[in-house]
Amino acid sequence: MKDRLRTLLGEPLVHFMLLGAALFLAYGLVGTRSEEAAGSIVVTQGRIESLSTVFARSWSREPTAEELDGLIREYVREEAAMREAITLGLDKDDTVIRRRLRQKLEFVAEELATPGEPTADDLRAYLKAHPGKFAAEPRFTFSQVHLDPQRRGAGLARDVAELRGKLDRAGGGAELSALGDSRLLERRFNAISRREVAQIFGEEFAARLVALAPGVWQGPIESGYGVHLVFVHDRSSPALPDLAEVREEVRRELLDARREESVRKFYEALLRRYTVTVEKAAPGNGEAKIAQGGQ
Amino acid sequence: MKTRWLFGGSAAAVILSGLVLATVAAQQPAPGPAPTDTGTLDPVAAERVAKKPGYSPYAGRGYPTRPLFGDTHLHTSYSMDAGAFGARLGPRDAYRFARGEEVVSSTGQPVKLSVPLDFLVVADHSDNMGFFPDLLSGKPEILASPTGRRWHDMIQSGKGAEAAIEIIMAFSQNKFPKDLLYAPGSRAYHGAWQETIAAAERYNEPGRFTAFIGYEWTSNTGGNNLHRNVIFRDNADKASLVEPFTVYPPGSDNPRDLWKWMQAYEEKTGGSVLAIAHNGNLSSGLMFPVIESFTGRPVDREYAEQRAKWERLYEVTQTKGTGEAHPALSPNDEFAAFELWDKGNLDGSVAKTKDMLEFEYARAALKNGLKLERDLGTNPYKFGLIGSSDAHTGLAAMEEDNFFGKTVPQEPSPHRLTAKFFDNAKTGVKIMDWEVGSSGYAAVWAAENTRTAIWDAMQRRETYATTGPRMIVRFFGGWDFAASDAQNRLPAQVGYAKGVPMGGDLLQAPQGKAPSFLVAALKDPQGANLDRFQIVKGWLDRDGRLHEKVHDVAWSGGRTPDPKTGKLPDVGNTVNVAEATWTNTIGAPELIAVWKDPDFDAAQPAFYYGRVIEIPTPRWTAYDAKRFGVKPLPGTQMTVTERAYTSPIWYTPGK
Repeated sequence: MKDRLRTLLGEPLVHFMLLGAALFLAYGLVGTRSEEAAGSIVVTQGRIESLSTVFARSWSREPTAEELDGLIREYVREEAAMREAITLGLDKDDTVIRRRLRQKLEFVAEELATPGEPTADDLRAYLKAHPGKFAAEPRFTFSQVHLDPQRRGAGLARDVAELRGKLDRAGGGAELSALGDSRLLERRFNAISRREVAQIFGEEFAARLVALAPGVWQGPIESGYGVHLVFVHDRSSPALPDLAEVREEVRRELLDARREESVRKFYEALLRRYTVTVEKAAPGNGEAKIAQGGQ
Repeated sequence: MKTRWLFGGSAAAVILSGLVLATVAAQQPAPGPAPTDTGTLDPVAAERVAKKPGYSPYAGRGYPTRPLFGDTHLHTSYSMDAGAFGARLGPRDAYRFARGEEVVSSTGQPVKLSVPLDFLVVADHSDNMGFFPDLLSGKPEILASPTGRRWHDMIQSGKGAEAAIEIIMAFSQNKFPKDLLYAPGSRAYHGAWQETIAAAERYNEPGRFTAFIGYEWTSNTGGNNLHRNVIFRDNADKASLVEPFTVYPPGSDNPRDLWKWMQAYEEKTGGSVLAIAHNGNLSSGLMFPVIESFTGRPVDREYAEQRAKWERLYEVTQTKGTGEAHPALSPNDEFAAFELWDKGNLDGSVAKTKDMLEFEYARAALKNGLKLERDLGTNPYKFGLIGSSDAHTGLAAMEEDNFFGKTVPQEPSPHRLTAKFFDNAKTGVKIMDWEVGSSGYAAVWAAENTRTAIWDAMQRRETYATTGPRMIVRFFGGWDFAASDAQNRLPAQVGYAKGVPMGGDLLQAPQGKAPSFLVAALKDPQGANLDRFQIVKGWLDRDGRLHEKVHDVAWSGGRTPDPKTGKLPDVGNTVNVAEATWTNTIGAPELIAVWKDPDFDAAQPAFYYGRVIEIPTPRWTAYDAKRFGVKPLPGTQMTVTERAYTSPIWYTPGK
């Protein structure tokens, strides 16, 4: 068994170790001694400090001597297993590893390719170019009375007309607490955003509310709950804010846009270095090869 | 070719390991402020209840008027398994989507929520969160080197992509300028954890959308799911002082160690964290132990106290099934068989046996908690309820007609109706993709949309779970609710004035009185009508036996309970499965009632929680069959009776 394993590992292991040793020398990395060779695992003082620090960051205290020994034991196992696995080629054709590596490279590329902190001019320009993104949401102060079509049945139209007449006479100051069918829907909403209106009454109702003129009772307007008579007391129109008010959001959006652009450009540049050939079976045409040059 | 690959691969590995070391060593934690206690009494809630009403019924209402909906359990590409399944969306995308923006899914499909959510916790697995190299972090030194200067200028002039490739090539070909390589800080790393925190900070907009900092601790020994989602009340200044708790070293798979980590975090930073246990239906009977699996001994006082302190909420429904009740445990509950995953554990390596169920399902745990409290003095299972997605797509998309699956391969496609989720040949445990549920969300009664307000409401358990729809549910318990309170125009005001909300406690029963409950539910404005509001009661009798009973307390019109059985007739069904449609011609948009416990015994500890049932609607499988023109497999569930579960209200007899 042991011999078989040795045969299996034999050549590539030596190969790998030599390369590894060469690399250690080349990079002179912290934590691993350059003389570390095949068949030896050296846990350096630096590595132990690292294990200890990770522990402290997690547990908010230093490890005890036994705990540190445990960490070192696990580290040694991991190191040995990792080396053998790579020698066996277990890292190849592994979707998890491929995707993880791609993710890491994209992270690197994102960090590298994205210009640093935007200037005030950058922010102003971005705000100007995307007014819709940063305009304050319109807010509504309104009252509503709800009628449940199921409960009202055939009398719904009559009840709506009667209620409407009553409300028209009373105007915006109408006492609403005794009116309508719902006991759970609030009668009056003060300066709530369109988004909140949609969360409470649904998107359809919010879209209708936006179009209502203030100062009169209107409706019936439908929602998922039934029909509503609505009085808009006040509404704020969306205004483009000053940079000072939305600086953080503009910065966030601009940085995100830049990141996305960076990744897109990175792939564009990266793929210029490759000739990509896609061997696709053309529909109904056997094994036709479609070649595609680098982009 | 092979050699070259090896060379490149090992070089990268060597660089990575060295860099981790350098960064970690540099980030020595600063000493934190004095320890604090999260406390048990919420002063805000106490004050709110005590306040005397003025003349205007609308003035000074401190209580929440609208529940906030969110997801406490969403994975992104930062989770190792999500990334492996092909998730491309990171935390930034996840927050964007949850707050209502349109994004492109990992499979290239545009997707948007019908209505924005109010909050989101990106809860990626803490194990293998990873580090990502920042090859040029030593900024000042870069400018001093001619090559570095050139790269810097390229990046600033919009040629960042080209610069990135040059830099990466320089590294892989061993031509990276030596003066840069050894410059202080040039080998820094971004931890995925720090990136996660940064994304939450950027998208957190108090008053509009709350982006919580959080992670999932993934204890999964033997495939038995004991995961917990950890949520910070705090901002980056505190959360970034620690690394999340892992299962791999230096972590542990024992929840007691997670609680120690939480305690240490709070002591060090003065911050606050809570943990929400993952749906226990895949834990092989380990989620709510009476005998602790880690020691083989009965749970003790310390376990009970620690669990009660740190785990005040429980995830009762999510994509991997619903864990409220099981028909084998609750044979008289006609709604218990709902979206069950009761064949095995998380990887199907252990088949389910009946004796496990009692220690996996919420209702049974709430009952056992009463008994443990009698024996240990503390109820370890005094938890409130929330639902969440556990999606691994970066998309909290849990609407039946807009369901983007649990994992990336389950994003909408003609295949997901017939594909396998997993199949363990050894145990015969097989789950099909159609069994994955489009569920759920967490509803929180917080007075404002901020980290602190939502977290505090979670801590006082003023929450409920929904299986996807955003129905509004009120549940108050007290000693003096009268039938007329259900006619009141401001039921919440009466509720808070005369009782405690969901998650609260009833103590010291007044002589001769039984608890009464004011319940109310309003349908999702975009969704289906409601069938009924039920109260589930569990109690411990004088002989130490546990009982449960489900009461119908409010229902849509035209039905009377059978005088013999007490059973309420079925609400009916309007679903046209082939067309994936239904109508709101049955059920009611709103239910409200006052109910008094007819069997109350002041000597017996009890809990009561609300369950709201919608009329039947098409399940996501029906939308898929219709939209893709795919024939479902035999036995596929095509309709769903969505529901909400409130946190319980507990009655505890005086000592």
